[in-house]
Amino acid sequence: MNQLAIETSCDDTCAAVLTDGRLISSVISSQTNLHQQWGGVVPDIAKRAHQQNIDPVVQTALKRAHLKLSDIDYLAVTQGPGLAIALSVGVNYAKDLALKLNKPLIAVNHIEGHLLSPFITNRSGNPVRQFQFPLLSLTVSGGHTKIILTQSLGDYQIIGQTLDDAAGESLDKAAKLLGLGYPGGPIIEVLSRLGNPNFLKLPQPLNNKSILNFSFSGLKTAFYYQIKKMSPEYILAHQADLAASFQQSVFSSLTTKFGLAISKYSPVLLSASGGVLANKALRAQLRSLAKKHHLPIYFPSKLAHNTDNAAMIGLVAHHKFLRHQFANPLLLDRDPRLQL
Amino acid sequence: MFKEYSNIVKVLKSGGLVVFPSDSVYGLAVDPLNPKAVAKLIAFKDRWPGKAISVAVNSLDMAKKYAKIDTKAENIFKTLLPGPFTVIVPGLHLFAPGIEAENGTIGLRLPKYQFITDLVTELGSPITATSANLSGKTPHYSIPSLLKTLSAKKQALIDLIVDHGQLPKNQPSTVIDISQPEPQILRAGDILVEAGTKFVSQSEADTRRLAQFIFQKITPDHRPIVFLLTGDLGGGKTVFSQSIGKYLGVKDQITSPTFVILNQYPATLVKQFLHFDLYRLSAGYEFDEIKFLDHFQPQTVSCIEWPEIMNPQDLQTIRQTCQVISVSFTYLSQNKRLIEYSF
Repeated sequence: MNQLAIETSCDDTCAAVLTDGRLISSVISSQTNLHQQWGGVVPDIAKRAHQQNIDPVVQTALKRAHLKLSDIDYLAVTQGPGLAIALSVGVNYAKDLALKLNKPLIAVNHIEGHLLSPFITNRSGNPVRQFQFPLLSLTVSGGHTKIILTQSLGDYQIIGQTLDDAAGESLDKAAKLLGLGYPGGPIIEVLSRLGNPNFLKLPQPLNNKSILNFSFSGLKTAFYYQIKKMSPEYILAHQADLAASFQQSVFSSLTTKFGLAISKYSPVLLSASGGVLANKALRAQLRSLAKKHHLPIYFPSKLAHNTDNAAMIGLVAHHKFLRHQFANPLLLDRDPRLQL
Repeated sequence: MFKEYSNIVKVLKSGGLVVFPSDSVYGLAVDPLNPKAVAKLIAFKDRWPGKAISVAVNSLDMAKKYAKIDTKAENIFKTLLPGPFTVIVPGLHLFAPGIEAENGTIGLRLPKYQFITDLVTELGSPITATSANLSGKTPHYSIPSLLKTLSAKKQALIDLIVDHGQLPKNQPSTVIDISQPEPQILRAGDILVEAGTKFVSQSEADTRRLAQFIFQKITPDHRPIVFLLTGDLGGGKTVFSQSIGKYLGVKDQITSPTFVILNQYPATLVKQFLHFDLYRLSAGYEFDEIKFLDHFQPQTVSCIEWPEIMNPQDLQTIRQTCQVISVSFTYLSQNKRLIEYSF
């Protein structure tokens, strides 16, 4: 069974081809030089230019899979949550294609995509990843911070989430406050390796053992207060220490709450995904948390599976296909506030 | 409802003492023009005569009948009221003794609370609006809490109780004296005012109250409402937006839209609440890609963070087609922000 999956929920236009749930090709507009390949049709820096990008991205994904549109057995698309106008492009494109090809269509929740992204496997089925339930997952990206409990595929419960800013967003904004530009999550990571994480004392938001929710806005504000009191020279001299202190506060909050959730829900398997998982320090801290609880933990096998991509949408769709959960291509509409 | 008012009016006209609900705490109403009624109120409160008792009016026009309101005072009056403020101005000495202060000033209230303004309208003249507690004691948010503190003798002085149940725990009003050359805050209450349309927020809760206060200053018409929020990171823009959303009846958790640029929420007071963060938009064509201007439809309220990133033509279009309120957030100290708004 060949599947074409499409994802346009925010910045990137993405398409992927999967065969029997295994990833054959995955294309992400910002990580692919479409500009060169398509003779200047697509400015390669353009974000959210989904209308221009979608056809070249889909064609590239098919080409890399050595398949034609006529080889596709069913389609999948992100229905939400996300930016309404961006979602529309993907949803309309997939609906048109499903009707034109007379093939089934599957609507996918973007968060479910991130949730299952550690389980993406290549065409040979590697890495071998077995679902075991209950599964406890942490998804942390620029737009989301959630702890999700999975009892079986399709049966999800959000047990903790951010009440304001996402974790990735707070790292980006701290970088901005330190004069490191925006988005600055990756710069914070590099600087943090050189700095002292205990340099600055920052509060642990929602520091109550019964609360599994996160709040990063207050942390950002506390950081802002402290920075305000410092001279620009002092900030410059201690950039690495400040970055390390802030990053560690964010990660402590993530690992503390995730640890609380592990104790409370006794999962048999852990997973973590989302853009912030690109950070090696966070992966290391989550690994040692899992070890402490004697549990295995899965991360996406490729860094590109952490950020928005269509491979994860395809994997969700594969399981929905097995459960016969199809969308009506005449009626499907994007849902910017789709809940898990 | 109408019958309720006519009964209360009857009691007030015959010199009675009425316990009534307000936008902050339970209050005591008598007819301030009736000397016997005022004497009864002073006796009830154990209040030292000579300390002023504020009165509630239903309009600037009514205020002008009983107090000297010059152009400057009129401007301040229009900015702050209706709202959780008591404004002190020179009186025209028409009230019974004990209402005006010894220096002849009078405290005026015009709350954003329909029960009181309707009652005043029905009566045709002001009512006293002092809190229903004995002098020097804490105010009450429910009738049982008030009655518990009163002796049988005091309880017998009350002619009528209008019980609206447990009131939300809002602070008493902020008292601001504008009879002086420089306005002065005499009691810091619900909202701290710096001057005119400048306010000081000392906490997230203050910012939340201010957001609702500013929202209530809007006279809605057919146009979409747009808040342009400017200020540094950590200034309170997201808290302000959350509060506007909540006020409009948004049920979902309102989270930062920075990553996704725009979050749209169904609301009850309007069709939709839109929360933009333009921070990540850099080039002009990115606004066209998200069909930015198409979002401002009737029956919507939008909060836009980082509006300075917009191009001037888009801003002009929004100003021409929407009701625009600019709100700026300035850092004063660790826990203080200056919040200023303009229409």
